[in-house]
Amino acid sequence: MEIKTEQFTDLAKKELENDRLRTFLKVWFPVLSMKRDLGIATLPDPAAAQAYGAAIREEAMERLPELLEEFEKNALANGAKVFWARDAKEANDYITNLAKERGIKYVTKGKSMVTEETGLNEVLSQNGVEVWETDLGEFIAQQLHRPPFHIVGPAINVPVEEVRDLFLEKINLQEPTLDPVQLGYAARIFLRDKFHHVQMGITGINIAVAETGTIINVENEGNIRFTKASPPTQVSVMSVEKVVATMKDALHMIRLLCRNCTGQKLTAYVSMDSGPKKSGEIDGPEELFIVIVDNGRTKIYQDPIARDVLRCIRCAACLNSCPVYGKIGGYAYGWAYSGPMGQVLDPVLLGLERTQDLYRATTLCGACKSVCPVGIDHPSMFLYYRAKDVLGEPYFMAKRRPRSEERFFKAFAWAVSRPWLWNLAVRMIRPYINKDAREGVISKMKGPFAGWFRTRDLPVMAWITFHERWEKMKENA
Amino acid sequence: MRKALGARRKEGKMEQSARDEILAKLRAAPKKAIHPRPYVPPLSELSMTKEELIERFMKNLVEETGIVHRVPDMQAALDKLTEIVKAEGLKKVMVSTDDVVAPLDLPAWGQRNNIKVMTHKDFSDRESFKDAVFQEAEAGITGADFAVAETGTLGLIHNKDQARLVSLAPILHIAIAPLERMVPVYEQVIEKVFGDKAGATGRSPLLPSQFLFITGPSMTGDIQGALFKGMHGPRRIIVILVG
Repeated sequence: MEIKTEQFTDLAKKELENDRLRTFLKVWFPVLSMKRDLGIATLPDPAAAQAYGAAIREEAMERLPELLEEFEKNALANGAKVFWARDAKEANDYITNLAKERGIKYVTKGKSMVTEETGLNEVLSQNGVEVWETDLGEFIAQQLHRPPFHIVGPAINVPVEEVRDLFLEKINLQEPTLDPVQLGYAARIFLRDKFHHVQMGITGINIAVAETGTIINVENEGNIRFTKASPPTQVSVMSVEKVVATMKDALHMIRLLCRNCTGQKLTAYVSMDSGPKKSGEIDGPEELFIVIVDNGRTKIYQDPIARDVLRCIRCAACLNSCPVYGKIGGYAYGWAYSGPMGQVLDPVLLGLERTQDLYRATTLCGACKSVCPVGIDHPSMFLYYRAKDVLGEPYFMAKRRPRSEERFFKAFAWAVSRPWLWNLAVRMIRPYINKDAREGVISKMKGPFAGWFRTRDLPVMAWITFHERWEKMKENA
Repeated sequence: MRKALGARRKEGKMEQSARDEILAKLRAAPKKAIHPRPYVPPLSELSMTKEELIERFMKNLVEETGIVHRVPDMQAALDKLTEIVKAEGLKKVMVSTDDVVAPLDLPAWGQRNNIKVMTHKDFSDRESFKDAVFQEAEAGITGADFAVAETGTLGLIHNKDQARLVSLAPILHIAIAPLERMVPVYEQVIEKVFGDKAGATGRSPLLPSQFLFITGPSMTGDIQGALFKGMHGPRRIIVILVG
């Protein structure tokens, strides 16, 4: 997937001009966060449950190396094969080889964020293996060659007319219709044939359980179940941080995941695989490959503060509560992960230089933090990234602000701590600044400060300052 | 030659596997303290009577558009099944051979009622079984290993008598759940299926290749948020509670 995080501002502007999208977000967005609030309220003590989720994920991260080893040991004992990949290329090459060795013509895929991140689909296609995304939203996004708009509804923004035209062209939709249900059933029939004859399936993993070597998928459509039941070869891909210690921990996380995600108490299907099918079983995989991908996580892990972002379980509660996401939607973020989740993840996965706008395009209101079931403090993280960026931290590939900016702020600090100089400067600068004032506010300026005014206003500078008035009052008295 | 290889190995990094490298990096990272876990009050289902649990189960499942029938015994379950199959006009069904439905001898029941009853054991290989379950079966009939009141959820252990596609590929899923298998919350299910001792050795081979929770029919909301059932899996689920 092409990474466009550098284009955030331009992409966001474009999205803001899309009236249809804005109307859609206006209606749909409050519904999502309302559902989430109602869902979480079905637990006896929602706040305690969220805090418990944070504790589970904190412990999982602090014990990560031992839990991964334990998971691997038990997964192997279950009969699965485990492959570790340092980066996207190693993971993609391994999976591509598995497909080639087996003469696979096409694979069906369950939605997997980590394979969006590694760009697996492109690599498989380049090697002559057709890829069918089978989650309805992901299928539409894939056919339209678009990134996921939302982690849970990857194509939920796409107007029905566009889906109709796409299906007429690509999947032999018999009669043009604008009914989402009929469109869905057309996709059902088309993908059903893929499920029927598929010889290799690829899925993500929501949770990996150390104590049993079990992998868990949480879904509503059944496409992941098909992908794990029909073909003789199953490949399941996880990033290193997906592991939790125990089955009981996994159950608690599932309760939180579903409620925070769609407001459901439980999704239609939760499937838990411990190894390939046993002898005598007629369906399910004969061979199960679990691919554990690092792709930058061990690097994030070294930083005890940034480490907290690895707790994320991709529930999307933060997207659904974010006032910025609620205006611009998911495309502007420019990669697989959108909303506050992407804003804390992308900067450390891609480096601070390429993601400049992501940790700045925020009101720091903390809505994301307040709904997060794993205790990620997004606003603090944004400030942390900004500080690292200004200081030019090489570890996370920070840009370091221009020398001129640094010199300016040094001079500014020097000047504002000397009242005589401050007063002199104000007098000199005031006519220049105030000349563009309209109705008491200055909303644009030429020169080096133009950027600051792009999203902010400044009240006109007083022609007579408080200090001057105070002096005058003393004189008169 | 051997010596050269050994020397290279000793040089370290180049030879280190991805696994060892990843784990070594994680182990080398600075440690943080783990906070104690907070108290979480128990779920309300844990203090319910049996009847309350049944009511909770039914309410939850109906919310997800599931249809629930309650019958007193297995004979009544078979009668209810006949009634459903007649009402739905089913001619071909795929049936599991699990310990709930096997004693009902559904193949014989099918002959009496002029319904083609197939089990996966009628098929010698995966592909022919798939042809039947994808293209022929108008419904899948299974037992349930568990019924969980917490969310109106069925628990299925997949094994040689419970094929995965029976409850998935046909457009209608009919499940028979004996009431003695009703539990309040997921934890009781998981303890029974996965054992209650963490990391006990020798337990792994006993784990089912797949354990499944089913809560209502397959669904999606992926086109403009419009919710509908039957995206890839069953459009409807009918549960017969026995007892």
